[in-house]
Amino acid sequence: MDINVKKVKKNAFRVTKHRGLTASRVRVPGGDITSEQLRIVAEIADKYGNGKAHITTRQGFEIPGIKYEDMPKVNEMLQPLIDQLGINQDTPGTGYTSAGTRNITACIGNRVCPFANVETSRIAKRIDKAVFPHDLHFKIAITGCPNDCVKARMHDFGLIAATMPQYERDRCISCYACEKACRLKATQALKIVNERIEREHTKCIGCGECVLNCPTRAWTRSKQRYFRLAIMGRTGKKNPRLAEDFLLWADEDSCVQIIKNTYKYVTNYINLGAPGGKEHIGYIVDRTGFHEFKKWALEDVKLGPDTIVKEHVNWGGIRYGLHY
Amino acid sequence: MGLVLSASRFGKLMEEWSKKYDIYAPALFEGSGPFSDTDQVRYAKVTSLEEIVFDKKSNYPFKEAILPITQVLFYFTEDEVREAAPRGRDAVIFLRSCDFNALRSLDAIYIRNVIEDHYYKGVRERAKFVVMGCESSFDNCFCVDMETNTCSGYDAYIHLEADSVTLDIVNPELADSFSFESGENAQITPKFVTATTTRVNIPGNLDASVAGSDMWDEYHTRCTSCGRCNFVCPTCTCFSMQDVSYTDNGKCGERRRVWASCQVDGFTDMAGGHSFRANKGQRTRYRVLHKVYDFKKRNGYHMCVGCGRCSDACQEYISFSACVNKLEKAMGVK
Amino acid sequence: MCDRNEYIPSAYEIKDVVKQTDAEYTFRVAYSADVKPGQFFEVSIPKFGESPISISEIGPDYIDLTIRKVGRVTSEIFTYTGGDKLFMRGPYGNGFDLDVFKGKELIVAAGGTGVSPVKPVIDYFAANPGEVTSCKVLLGYKSQQDILFKNSLANWTSSLDVSLTLDRAEEGYGGRVGFVSALVPGLDIANPPEAQVIVVGPPAMITSTAKEFLNRGIAISNIWISLERRMCCGIGKCGHCRINDQYVCLDGPVFNYEKGVNLVD
Repeated sequence: MDINVKKVKKNAFRVTKHRGLTASRVRVPGGDITSEQLRIVAEIADKYGNGKAHITTRQGFEIPGIKYEDMPKVNEMLQPLIDQLGINQDTPGTGYTSAGTRNITACIGNRVCPFANVETSRIAKRIDKAVFPHDLHFKIAITGCPNDCVKARMHDFGLIAATMPQYERDRCISCYACEKACRLKATQALKIVNERIEREHTKCIGCGECVLNCPTRAWTRSKQRYFRLAIMGRTGKKNPRLAEDFLLWADEDSCVQIIKNTYKYVTNYINLGAPGGKEHIGYIVDRTGFHEFKKWALEDVKLGPDTIVKEHVNWGGIRYGLHY
Repeated sequence: MGLVLSASRFGKLMEEWSKKYDIYAPALFEGSGPFSDTDQVRYAKVTSLEEIVFDKKSNYPFKEAILPITQVLFYFTEDEVREAAPRGRDAVIFLRSCDFNALRSLDAIYIRNVIEDHYYKGVRERAKFVVMGCESSFDNCFCVDMETNTCSGYDAYIHLEADSVTLDIVNPELADSFSFESGENAQITPKFVTATTTRVNIPGNLDASVAGSDMWDEYHTRCTSCGRCNFVCPTCTCFSMQDVSYTDNGKCGERRRVWASCQVDGFTDMAGGHSFRANKGQRTRYRVLHKVYDFKKRNGYHMCVGCGRCSDACQEYISFSACVNKLEKAMGVK
Repeated sequence: MCDRNEYIPSAYEIKDVVKQTDAEYTFRVAYSADVKPGQFFEVSIPKFGESPISISEIGPDYIDLTIRKVGRVTSEIFTYTGGDKLFMRGPYGNGFDLDVFKGKELIVAAGGTGVSPVKPVIDYFAANPGEVTSCKVLLGYKSQQDILFKNSLANWTSSLDVSLTLDRAEEGYGGRVGFVSALVPGLDIANPPEAQVIVVGPPAMITSTAKEFLNRGIAISNIWISLERRMCCGIGKCGHCRINDQYVCLDGPVFNYEKGVNLVD
């Protein structure tokens, strides 16, 4: 058997521990999948795999037990799935063009979840369209509210959706359900003044608890959707850490543009001598400094009037090897 | 006066009304629901037919058009009180049959309960009511069982057909300075619902013993005392007073009244520290029995009009009709 | 506007302020219109709003309002002195019908601030003891510091049979200890079925004391209670004081116990 494993990997198949057997990696941007698409996964598993599928942590499927020689047939079967998911592809019928950039994940978002401030998978798909396929190792996730169910803060780019609560004083009946929810579940951003509510903007994280808990629609959501853009979170063997806030109250377009700009920044600064020519963005930012990253990231980005850009960003996290 | 008008002709009539009246009708508030990308239908000042929502039940009833959520009663200084100016214009209010029947309960409390409410009366007397027909009932509606599916005494009636507006103008003032064409006159039949999927059975022999039943206990754990059921109810009328002082010495400011809910904490709190109905099941009992028992004892008819909004609005899925339907079994049973 | 706006309060001059306890002051307000014992006024209290305050004394050209300092917000009113103005509206509520008690054996049981609304009744029969066959007054307070209307107490004692009890024994106090309800079993009642009884106090005190009176053979229809509930309007609109089909502000605060016993909050 003669196999170019680099090509296999680029075609979204994995080299497994079982000699002669590969696994097909199916990427589902934003985790949004139809029953029809699920059936394709099932059919591939039945026909060419071992009847099983693994649900990955990045909202994809891994279909194991596939013989290397069946890869072209699997790719053929994948085509309707790739079409329906709207995945960028070089040549139809040749399967996923996989690369360094990981599937863009999203929480279930406001298609279902009452807390979510946006339709997260729509945004995941939008970013997928904008950046795929790409060899650079980027991890991006979108979460509907600061509960961060998708763990956006473990990503290079985490978009945490927010709303700017709008208060109509005369609809307020002073039940203080908002104040209580904010105090107990969020940041105590609401104060009772003269039996009405005052929102401290600098404390507000835009989670929408006030809006959810208001029984009279005194609190409603802003038309504009906002994002907290957290950057350079990561796992790994050196310095795992949570992403830190870069932008507050940013708009969707700016976030997408910043991600695209960062591909240019990484292309410019990546250390090709790193193992496999792969260097994760976070370590590049560590190397160049946050301000160099910021310069590249914000190039030609027209931030909205509400957006707050952090002057400095410092990361913490665990430094393996320094701790016992 | 039965009429069938084209949408544009009705638009002209609304223009005419707008010169004299503030027109309040259920309107779409995009994105203003509690959850993102959800809409609400609630009352707003409108000027055109397109703004009026006919095909949905409004999330909040008409009552805010005559009983504002916040109403300033007067302004005070150290030794003087000045009444807040009344609303400038007369009102035309679009509402459904259930809500029009609810008006009777509002009147019972605000006008007929021994002492008249100056503010309510002032607005009420200057309001005209246009009843919107119902093609069929909505979720949770049980107007037929509450006998509020039909009504009379309205100033006008309206429903939409595919490309026309069916109208019955009862109060000639609403036809003032507008000449209808002869072809626009028509024999019209108001659309009133005659059956609902949701049904209620209020036992004819319902008595106070039901208050002692354990049927209320489950609501203590289910209800979160948010008060939505009260705020969306067309017949809930409770309010609290608030004094707001504009200056530090507190001798200058305004007194306003604000909607209150018997389900929300603090409703019965007294200055001395006493309060009543700490148990949320008992608050449910207090609310439900007022709607289908206590109010009737005082006024001779049920307060509840069967609009079902309390059930629609409850985030804990507590159904008012399901609760009422438990009463018969619960009578006399501890 | 020709129709009456019940919500607009009027300014009344404070004639005098008397400290009752550390927490309770009596404001004597110039007032000469009709008012009945047991009625109340909605009194505007700066930075707090309005509170229903019972009338604790009715004079020829004044009424007394005894106000309890609760919370931090009401304390400002305690800086008021004679000559200042108080905003009020009322009187509201049904009040006590003194004719019901005339020519009868009357027993008044009151606890704590509950003494306020019933005080004008006691005052009346203390001044006119001949209008009742007898009048016994049972008063209960938490401690010596909580005793209200000490000046009146002396007047009452000269013409009426007054018993005072404190919740707990205290140093330097030689009087009765225990709840008001505990005084009822030992009470000398000449003709229980005909006797008239007034019970006013906190909810638990009303229930327990009325129960003792019923045990003594008092007719339930001869027992009168006065309820205290939250009221924002005093005129049957705001709904806070409603119990079943009754509005405490309109139909009460005085209820015959035959009806009152069935009121479920």
